[in-house]
Amino acid sequence: MLAQRAVEIATAAGAGSAEALVVASSSALTRFANNRIHQNVAWTDAGVSIRAVIGGKVGVASTNRSGDEALTQCCAAAVEAARHAPEDPEFPGLPAPRDVTYADRVSPGTVSYDAAARAEAAGAIVEQSAVRGLTAAGGVSVSEQSVAVANSLGVDVAMASTSARSTVLSMGPDEGNGWASFSGRDATELAASSLGDQAATLAQRSACPRDLAPGDYAVVLAPDAVADIVQFLGWYGGSAKSVEEGRSFLTGHAGERIMSDAITIIDDALAPWALGLTFDFEGMPKTRVALVEGGVAGHPCTDSYWAARTGRANTGHALPAPNSFGPIPIDLAMEPGESTPDELIASVQRGVYVTRFHYVNIEDPLRATLTGMTRDGTFLIEDGRLTFPLRNLRFTQSAIDALSHVGGVSAERKMVGEEGGALAPYLLLEKFAFTGQTR
Amino acid sequence: MRGFTAEVLDAAARAGASYADVRVTDTTSQKISVRNGVVEGVESSASFGFGVRVIADGAWGFAASADLDGDAAERVARQAVAIAKASATVGGHRVCLADVGAFDDTWSGACEIDPFAVSLEDKLAVLLEADAAMRAVSGIALATSDLGLLRVFKVFASSVGSYIEQRWTESRAGICAYAIDDGDVLPRSYPNSHGGGCYQAGWESIVALDLPGNATRIAEQAVALLTAPECPSATTTLVIDGGQIALQVHESIGHPTELDRVLGDEAAFAGTSWVAASDLDTLRYGSDLVNVTADATVPGSLGSFGYDDEGVPAQRDHLVRAGVLTGFLGSRESAVSIGRSSNGCMRADGWNRTPLIRMTTVSLEPGSAGSLEELIADTDEGLYIETNNSWSIDDKRLNFQFACEIGWEIRGGKLGRMVKRPNYTGITPKFWAGCDAICSTEAWQVWGLDNCGKGEPMQVAHVAHGAAPARFRDVEVGVGR
Repeated sequence: MLAQRAVEIATAAGAGSAEALVVASSSALTRFANNRIHQNVAWTDAGVSIRAVIGGKVGVASTNRSGDEALTQCCAAAVEAARHAPEDPEFPGLPAPRDVTYADRVSPGTVSYDAAARAEAAGAIVEQSAVRGLTAAGGVSVSEQSVAVANSLGVDVAMASTSARSTVLSMGPDEGNGWASFSGRDATELAASSLGDQAATLAQRSACPRDLAPGDYAVVLAPDAVADIVQFLGWYGGSAKSVEEGRSFLTGHAGERIMSDAITIIDDALAPWALGLTFDFEGMPKTRVALVEGGVAGHPCTDSYWAARTGRANTGHALPAPNSFGPIPIDLAMEPGESTPDELIASVQRGVYVTRFHYVNIEDPLRATLTGMTRDGTFLIEDGRLTFPLRNLRFTQSAIDALSHVGGVSAERKMVGEEGGALAPYLLLEKFAFTGQTR
Repeated sequence: MRGFTAEVLDAAARAGASYADVRVTDTTSQKISVRNGVVEGVESSASFGFGVRVIADGAWGFAASADLDGDAAERVARQAVAIAKASATVGGHRVCLADVGAFDDTWSGACEIDPFAVSLEDKLAVLLEADAAMRAVSGIALATSDLGLLRVFKVFASSVGSYIEQRWTESRAGICAYAIDDGDVLPRSYPNSHGGGCYQAGWESIVALDLPGNATRIAEQAVALLTAPECPSATTTLVIDGGQIALQVHESIGHPTELDRVLGDEAAFAGTSWVAASDLDTLRYGSDLVNVTADATVPGSLGSFGYDDEGVPAQRDHLVRAGVLTGFLGSRESAVSIGRSSNGCMRADGWNRTPLIRMTTVSLEPGSAGSLEELIADTDEGLYIETNNSWSIDDKRLNFQFACEIGWEIRGGKLGRMVKRPNYTGITPKFWAGCDAICSTEAWQVWGLDNCGKGEPMQVAHVAHGAAPARFRDVEVGVGR
């Protein structure tokens, strides 16, 4: 309703066409550290963003102030910006309406998961560390979001979603750290005590870590670590813009084998595991995109602008306008294999098990060369079993090269992160370059 | 606003808060971006709301809303107290705060030319001229130029008795030329990567950058990188430009000396620190040349303010003196753990976030090595690198790896062959122990950084670092080559 009203005001103010994006959210996060709750926050907000178009000229303005006066000022600001902006000869115009498949992504259990419920969950998590002489840090968060998009060509979509997340880092006195996380739509599915136990058990097991010489090792990556790789590939290489500008690992390789045939990386907002919207921030339906299918380079995702510029179909991956980043996949997944995590570990003669990575960054986008650290549960694998914990290791490794030597993919997968996260399996990579180790 | 903030504080007290503060924040921003001659975005935005932070039953609670009308003061204050009471059910710890005075004051940052009053045409002219100059260099595949403006008005009031109004303006602009071929994407930025130059100042700061006048130079360097060799793998002497030193200070001194990290409050997300609170005044952080200050009073710096978000006055403090750890970045709560008063480092990213310990202007103080040219001339053999391209550091801020946009070999006190994609790695105290020269005041400048992420939910702070080029011995470069 508000989105349509904003479109009417913007067009009345002089926009040739107009689009309105309305986002309303209510979120809360209970953080704990040192076995106590040290931050506990809740906030609500609602904002409208107007994209005004005059010919090929575009201006955007947004506000979170409510009321007709603020809305009118915001619309006027967007129109004024459009009037003074230069023409973009390649701007295709706002997209026309298309059918959207909606999904029920609101969990009443998350909506009613209040401060008392979050504190109870945090207490159950902390208890698992405290009784073992460990300290726990992490959080329990819930969020409820409603998004509506309308434009003067008839787009008019709206959807709500909820999400819940909990993370636990358990730390012991002998450098033993353990990690566990939960992500989902329904906060009542959080098994807090079990999550706390998982992290605390891993912390106990990873006490007194040892050194490992730098070099190439086989690695078994747990889902949290795999998700980092999938996200970097998707965010930096999965956009039609980065492909067109020659900055993507997909550039020039469509249809070519670039990885092991065990690797398929997709983006699919309609999948049952997806957490967010089924339309993008232009109100276009999101469609499944295979960035890599059976090791073969696929196609990037698009929005209305980059679909028109590249002659591809609009896959529905627009971010809010104006968007200098380009279209982006935010419902990423790596397709499963058939192994169990234990089978992957059992097949490694000498290698490294990684629970998760820390502070990963990209050094070369074309080879997707990443560097980062391991943390919270790194182990040496010898003769098919975890033998002893390792101090955190630094890796400097091309993700493309690493995913070209795959020893196995697990059937089990886990959702890592909230919307914008990734569904990831365990993964055995036969060659992974560790270039350093922390003290 | 006094009436509203008083209403909030009264409501919090009635609900059971033993301490409360409220921040009302009104921000206006504008962003303009140009890519290969096309104006990609012209965007303005406004955000307004308030946040209430309380202690009740000895624990923290925070609630925020964009709605200030009707019963909002009462409703949100009560919500914050209810949240605090829920916090108190886990752990049994009771929050204790270092004392702070009551201040009734106003503060404004310097701004000579209001950037919001400058016409869109004038702003676009700067960006488009720089864009054209970059793309006029043969071999440039992609050119980007952009600017961002921010205006903030913030009111803080607390149950201690403070009422503080602050307002400031920030301006940011930068350009980047990309040379791209089948195997390389090679960016070259000015005046810095990741957004360019950021200042607590007005339009005059963007004019002073002279983006068009520097566009051709960086574009030619980007193209030259295409045929430059890879940075070789070696352990060598490394000379680092001021911009990268700023980020090195940020990651390996600024973050590890944040007391909330030291005390474990950020352990699960950003990590902890290799430094312990008990290391104060004893830990050897680096060589005798290493002096690091945290200063919230530097004119024109993104790290400056009148009061932090706990109502603590802006201060200048030493974190490292002659290579020894002498201070931390602190808050009223964390300062108690080291027996000091707060040095005023608590800031929040907007009205809907609770304050965290953030850097102010955390600077490597200048040395006596003269200009960059004199430092190079004093170096027999090694590598000189400029402008950050990638950064990564472990959860205790010990093992780091940075990549830069460009480097040159140093031979016999002169710059030699250009190398592409130089990177280096190290362990924080060993690296800073190897610092044997820092350029002098004339080569020192403040580098703004407006993308410092920390906390959950993620908060992005605007901070700054004073830095001059410096030299480090026995550094591993060309990692993973």
